[in-house]
Amino acid sequence: MKKLLAVLAGVAALAATGASAQTLKSVKDRGELVCGVSKGLPGFSAPDAKGQWTGFDVDLCRAVAAAVLGSGEKVKFVPLTADERFPALQKGEVDLLSRNSTWTLDREGKLGLLFAGISYYDGQGFLVRDSRKITSALELDKSKVCVQAGTTAAGATAEYFKSNGMELELITLPDSAALVKAYEEGKCDTLTTDVSQLYALRLNMAKPADHIVLPDVISKEPLGPVVRQGDDQWFNVVKWVLYGMLNAEELGVTSSNMAEALKSQKPDVKRLLGVEGDNGASLGLPNDFVVLVVKAVGNYGESYERNVGAASKLGIPRGINQLWSMGGIQYAPPIR
Amino acid sequence: MISSTFKTLTFAALLQVGLLAGVGATQAQTAPRGTPGATMDIGDQPGLVPPEDDEAQLDPAFRRQPVYFRTTEAPGTIIISTNERFLYLVEGNNRAMRYGIGVGRDGFQWSGLKNIVRKAEWPDWRPPVEMIERQPYLPRFMAGGPGNPMGARALYIGGTVYRIHGTNQPQTIGYAVSSGCFRLVNSDIIDLYQRVPVGTKVIVRQQATL
Repeated sequence: MKKLLAVLAGVAALAATGASAQTLKSVKDRGELVCGVSKGLPGFSAPDAKGQWTGFDVDLCRAVAAAVLGSGEKVKFVPLTADERFPALQKGEVDLLSRNSTWTLDREGKLGLLFAGISYYDGQGFLVRDSRKITSALELDKSKVCVQAGTTAAGATAEYFKSNGMELELITLPDSAALVKAYEEGKCDTLTTDVSQLYALRLNMAKPADHIVLPDVISKEPLGPVVRQGDDQWFNVVKWVLYGMLNAEELGVTSSNMAEALKSQKPDVKRLLGVEGDNGASLGLPNDFVVLVVKAVGNYGESYERNVGAASKLGIPRGINQLWSMGGIQYAPPIR
Repeated sequence: MISSTFKTLTFAALLQVGLLAGVGATQAQTAPRGTPGATMDIGDQPGLVPPEDDEAQLDPAFRRQPVYFRTTEAPGTIIISTNERFLYLVEGNNRAMRYGIGVGRDGFQWSGLKNIVRKAEWPDWRPPVEMIERQPYLPRFMAGGPGNPMGARALYIGGTVYRIHGTNQPQTIGYAVSSGCFRLVNSDIIDLYQRVPVGTKVIVRQQATL
């Protein structure tokens, strides 16, 4: 019932403002993008020591601002809790939500929102002690598995073990601190939650390098930027900024070789950077919007590595988020 | 047929660059380990004996680990991603064993489709003529052993002067440092050596060029 009210409120707000169909124009007029982010999730969105917002989700806000307003600094970040995030977007309090949100039918069908692509493929995985020399989740038969109460992880784990003919003993813990403690004290053989979360939890362990995250991912948690329904132009802008970052990586365009890239003779690179054609203008953006984006936050791979990958504290391998051409499933439609 | 996709042109060009570049220039690392710009200018150190637990010297990101890897290549294929500084041994079912590697310095990187033609334990080292010309201080011959830059094992890549081998300098993993070979820490090359037979397909990939 509460959910229904929230939806109704959202729909009413949508109808009332009316301006939501011109998000691009209002962002340009305002000279600032209002972006909804997480209250503090290391690697994804958190203010640093100087109060500057950084992270993978934050970069996407900055990328959109760079494409629309020419600068990645022209963003007002609005930290939102899990409960606040969708109503805030529905009511038009934010132009864009880039907050670790999973794309599901429910959120598009019932909440009147649209996911503008998948910026990060997350999913449930397993953490084990490296000393066990396990290489696959299929070797976890007869394991004691620690899960956090109130998440979907317990059900998914039981289902996975059952469908692979394995036995398990589930140990449910009230919160993530208790989860880590139980695992470190040896009360369970493996700890399970979303892969990005496993890496974050591992950081807080006594000896992070003694534990590995298995490559198996047993559930789908596709995360991406969210916009309101009813504004196709803005939806396209956000979508193609993300795809621009992915295409830049695929074509070898980085923040450090931009000068060289602008002189490239390859048709794909020329179109990507707006040296040729009017692809940007057709979206309501400058033709060189990808240049602005990559200069502001780097290409997809640069942003990934800096915030959550090898160059960050989290050290999450690219895994399924590697480009489709490099062993992963990140795939952007071509710019042409 | 094997060498059909090997870029001979690049190979010839890089040898020339190498000859001009000379030796002895010391340079700091230019970028974080593992990123495309990360190079380490460190000479070969014949005679240096690496620590027993060479794997412990590795950044966790470069330690041997099973990973998700989607490919149409058959299980057993080696795929080397120069840009990422990783060697993948395809295991099928969307997974691979991943090893951290050191790769060729700028101008010493190459790509192509090759095969393993020979395997050797504690290989002797005869630096090729091109390498002697660039680095005249290198020995002409060095018997296999712990102080040998080839390390504990070598997999010889057919049709080239290159190998996938161990190292006596574990700190170089993750950097562009070699003359075109791919180096792993000794514990990793021993592991890989046991897993791949002669005839194994080796694919060397480069980042897209502008």
